[in-house]
Amino acid sequence: MSTQIIDLLKKLRHEALARGLKAMIYYHEEDSYLMRFANSAISLNTNEHLVRLDMLAFEDRRQVSYSIIVDPADFATMLEGLDKLTEMLPHAEPLSYDPTFPVYAGDVVDERAYDPALAALTNQERLDYFNTLAQALESADVKLSGIFSSGTTTTAQINTANEHTQLFRATDAQITAVLSSESLKWEVNAEQSAQKKSDLDAAALHADLALLVKHYQEDPAVQLPVGKYTVVLGPAATAELSSMMAGYAMDGAAYKQGYSFLKEEDQGKLIFSEKISFVDDPDQVELYAESHDQYGMQRKKFALIDRGKFGSFMWSQDAADEFGKTPTGHNVDHFSAVMSAGEMPVGSLSELLEMERDEDILYIPYIHYMNVVNPTQGMVTGSSRFGALYLTKEGGVQVPYNVRLTQKFTDFFGERVVWMSQKQVAYNNSSSYGRRNPSALLLPRFICVKGIEISHSNPSY
Amino acid sequence: MKETIRKQLDRLRAKGAHYVDTRWYPYEDSNFLFMWNGNLKANNASSQSGLGVRVLYNGAWGFCASSDLSNLEAIYEKAFDNAKIASERVTFPVRLAEKDAIVGRFDSPNQIDPFTIGLDEKVAFLKKMDDALNQPGVAQRTSMVEFVRKQIIFMDSEGSEIEKNIIEVFPNIRAVGIDKDGGMQQLTYAPGRTGATRGWESIDEADFLKNAERLVTELNQLLAAEDAPSGKMSVILLPGIMFLQTHETIGHALELDRILGYELSFAGGSFVRLEDFGKLRYGSEKLTVRANALEPNTPGSFGFDDDGVPAQDNLLIDKGILVGAVTGRQMVEEANAKAKKQIFAGSSGANRATSFYRVPIERMTNINIDPGNDGSLEDIIANTEYGLILDGDKSWSIGSNREQFHFACNIGWLVQDGQKKQVVKNPTYRGETLPFYNSLSAVGDKSTWHVHYVENCGKGAPNQIMQLGHGIPVCRFDNVQVGE
Repeated sequence: MSTQIIDLLKKLRHEALARGLKAMIYYHEEDSYLMRFANSAISLNTNEHLVRLDMLAFEDRRQVSYSIIVDPADFATMLEGLDKLTEMLPHAEPLSYDPTFPVYAGDVVDERAYDPALAALTNQERLDYFNTLAQALESADVKLSGIFSSGTTTTAQINTANEHTQLFRATDAQITAVLSSESLKWEVNAEQSAQKKSDLDAAALHADLALLVKHYQEDPAVQLPVGKYTVVLGPAATAELSSMMAGYAMDGAAYKQGYSFLKEEDQGKLIFSEKISFVDDPDQVELYAESHDQYGMQRKKFALIDRGKFGSFMWSQDAADEFGKTPTGHNVDHFSAVMSAGEMPVGSLSELLEMERDEDILYIPYIHYMNVVNPTQGMVTGSSRFGALYLTKEGGVQVPYNVRLTQKFTDFFGERVVWMSQKQVAYNNSSSYGRRNPSALLLPRFICVKGIEISHSNPSY
Repeated sequence: MKETIRKQLDRLRAKGAHYVDTRWYPYEDSNFLFMWNGNLKANNASSQSGLGVRVLYNGAWGFCASSDLSNLEAIYEKAFDNAKIASERVTFPVRLAEKDAIVGRFDSPNQIDPFTIGLDEKVAFLKKMDDALNQPGVAQRTSMVEFVRKQIIFMDSEGSEIEKNIIEVFPNIRAVGIDKDGGMQQLTYAPGRTGATRGWESIDEADFLKNAERLVTELNQLLAAEDAPSGKMSVILLPGIMFLQTHETIGHALELDRILGYELSFAGGSFVRLEDFGKLRYGSEKLTVRANALEPNTPGSFGFDDDGVPAQDNLLIDKGILVGAVTGRQMVEEANAKAKKQIFAGSSGANRATSFYRVPIERMTNINIDPGNDGSLEDIIANTEYGLILDGDKSWSIGSNREQFHFACNIGWLVQDGQKKQVVKNPTYRGETLPFYNSLSAVGDKSTWHVHYVENCGKGAPNQIMQLGHGIPVCRFDNVQVGE
C-alpha cells in the first residue's frame, strides 16, 4: 500500500515537472469508523474511506494551492488539479517575502504509530467494548451515550525539488462514554485514547463510570456559591486549557496577529509554575507523533514551558519566512505535547476521593465550550461538565451543578498550582471536523490549583 | 449514474432494508482567498465528489461514504452491514415521519456564478479592501472571500429524486489594533444579506469600502477607550451580536435531537423538555422566532433538506411561548411517541449534512426573530436610561444544556439618559437563557432587521460544519450582568 502511494506521488511529481511547476504534493488517506451511541442505542454506525490531495505551486513569490477529495484510481482528475494550479499561478499576488521551498534530505517512512490490530478492529469489537463499559450501569433513567471513533490515517509528501518522499501512518481510537439521567439531566463521562489495540481497556472506563454514577445517585446535589475555590482539574480540562493556550499564545503567527498574552521578551522568563514543563515531543508514539514536519525538518523535543519559564514560540515555515525567524519543525497536522508529571501519588478518581484533604476541593474533569474572552490577557471562559464533584474537607462528597469559570491561563498554570499527579495519562483531543487528524496530549492525571474563581453557578442540572 | 443508484436502493430494499437513501455529489467546488497585511496568504481552490449511503434496518442506521465510485455495490453493502450491527443495540426503533415522494429541483438564486469571475478580479477586490484598511491605528488587516458551488442528487427508496444546485458567497474584512493598555482590539465586517440573490453580485464593493472606513474609525476609538463598566444594566444588542445570541441560546436549544439526548456525548443537550412545547414562556411577549428556510438569500435556504422534505417557514416561539423545534423525520416520530401525543405534525425540513461523507442531522435553517414595534435603533436608545450598546462576536461560551451563556463583544457604546455616549472596550455579558429572554424589553422595527449568515456552525460526531442564517432586529434586554 505504501509503495502504491509513493508510486502515485512520483507519477504526479513527474507530471508537475512536465508542466513546469515548482510544486509540493500532499497525500492524505483516512479509513474512519465511528459508532455513536445515544439513549442506550447505537444511533449511528458509519465509516468513510477518503483520499485527499493537496497540491501547492510556487513561482517566485507567488503561491497557489488546490485540494481534492478524489478516487485514488482517477489519475485524470488529479492531473486536472495540476492544470488548475498552472492556470491559477499567474493570477496570484506576490508575497512581500520569499517563501521557502522544501528540499527533503532523504526518504522518510514513519509508521511507529501504526498498529494493524487496531486498524482491523471490527464492528462487533466496538460494540462489545461499549457493552462491557456500560455493564449494569444503565437503567430506565440512566442512558448511555458516546462514541467509539477509530481509524487509520496515512499522509505522504513529495515535491519537485527531488524524488525523496515522506510517509507517515498512524492508527488511533478515541472513546467517549457518557451516562446521563433522563429525569434529572446529570451526566458523567469517561474517556480513553488508544494508539494500539492493547491500549483499549473497557473495564477501566467501567470502573470510572460506576464510581461517578454511584456518587451522582447517592450524594447530595449542591449549587455552589460563587467565589474562589481550590480546584482539581482532570485530564480533559487540562488538555482543553493547555492545547488552547499553545494554539493561541505560543504560536508565532498567532502572536504576530495579537492573539497572545506572551511576548518575545517573555522567552526564558518565569511565567508559569516551576512545577510545569510542557514539551512538544516527537518521540511520543502514543501521541501519534511524527518524526519530520512537512518541510522535511527532523522534529526534536521543543520546550514550550521549561520548569515554569516560557520557552519559545512555535514558528511554521511561512511565519518564519515572513518574520525572519527560524522555523521550529511545526508544519505538522498536530503536535505531541507532554506536560510534566508531579509528585502527588494520586492516579485515579478513587484515590482522589480517598486522599486526605484539609480544605474543600472542587473536582472539574471537563470544561465545556471554552473560548478566549481576551487574548492579550490570556482570559478564557467555560463551564464545568461531565462529573464534577465537590470534596469537603470533612471527607464528604457532594455533586455540584455546573459552574462557569472565567480566568486567565496563568491562573491555571501559574503560581497557584498546588500539586500535580505522578501519573500521566494520554488524552485524545482529536477533532473530526474535516479530515482525520489523530492528536493527543500526555498530561498529569490531576492538577490542583488554588484560588480559581467561579463566576456563575447553575441552580440545577 | 441515477439508474445505477436506483438499482442499488431497490436491491437493499429487497434484502430487507426498511429505507435507503443516497446523496451523490457530482461536484462540490470551493475557492478561498485570504489576504493578511497585503500578502495573499491563501489562494486555494478545492474540489470533491462522492456518494453517501444511509440505510435503515430493523430500526437502526448504518452509513457509508466514499469518493471511490468504482464499486458502488460495496459502498451500499457496507452501509447495510453497519446498520445490521447497529440493530443489535436498539432501544427505540427509528421510524420516519411521513412525507410525499418528491421529484424536484432547487437552484439557489444568483445572478453571477462566482466561479465565472476571474482570479484577477477577486484578488483586486481583496487588494482594495486591504488598501482601505491600511490606515493609522490598524496593526493587522485581513480580507477574505470564499465561494462554494455544489450539486447534490438526493434519491431515496420511497421514490424521491431531488437535484439541488447551490452557490454561496462568504466575504469579510477585519481590522486589528493594539489599544493604549497593550490589549488587542478587533472589528470585523461581514455584510448582511439585503438583496434577493446570493451570487458574486451580493458582494457590494461600495458597501464594503464604506464599512472599511467605519471599521478604521471605530477601531481608533476603541484604541483610546476605557474598559466597559460592570454591573447590572440594559444591553442593546445590535444584529452583529444578537444573531449569535439567537443562534446559541434559541437555535441550538431547539434542535430536537439535542432535546431528545442525541448530542449528549459531544455538543450537549437542551434545557427544553418535550412537555414544554405549547407552554414554556421562553421570553417576553415581544419575542417571536421562526425557522424560515424560505428566505431567498441565505445558506439556511436549500429547497429540500437531506431527508427530501421541502423547506418551510415554521414558528418556534410565538409571542414568548415555545411552540416549535428544529426537526427532521426521525426525531419528530420519536418525540411524539415519547410524549404520547402529537407535538409535531411532521418534519420541519431541517435535517442536513455538511458533505457527502457525513450523515444528516438536525441543523438550523434561518432562525429569525420577527421585527418588533419599538421603532428604530435611535428610538430604542432614546428610551434607555442606562446601559450598553453591544456589537461584534468576540467570544462565546454556552452551557451544555444551553441554559446559561457568556459573550464577549468587539465594541460597546455607553448609553446614559437616552443618549449614545462614548465607545468602551472589552465588553462582556452573561446570563441564564430563560430569565434573559424574559427581560427582552424592546425589539427594533424592520429598519433594524438584518440577515446574517453563519458559515461555521459545528455539531455532531463525526463533526460537521454547517452554513445557515439569522434574520435579526436590534433587541434590548434589561437587568443583564455585564463585565464578568
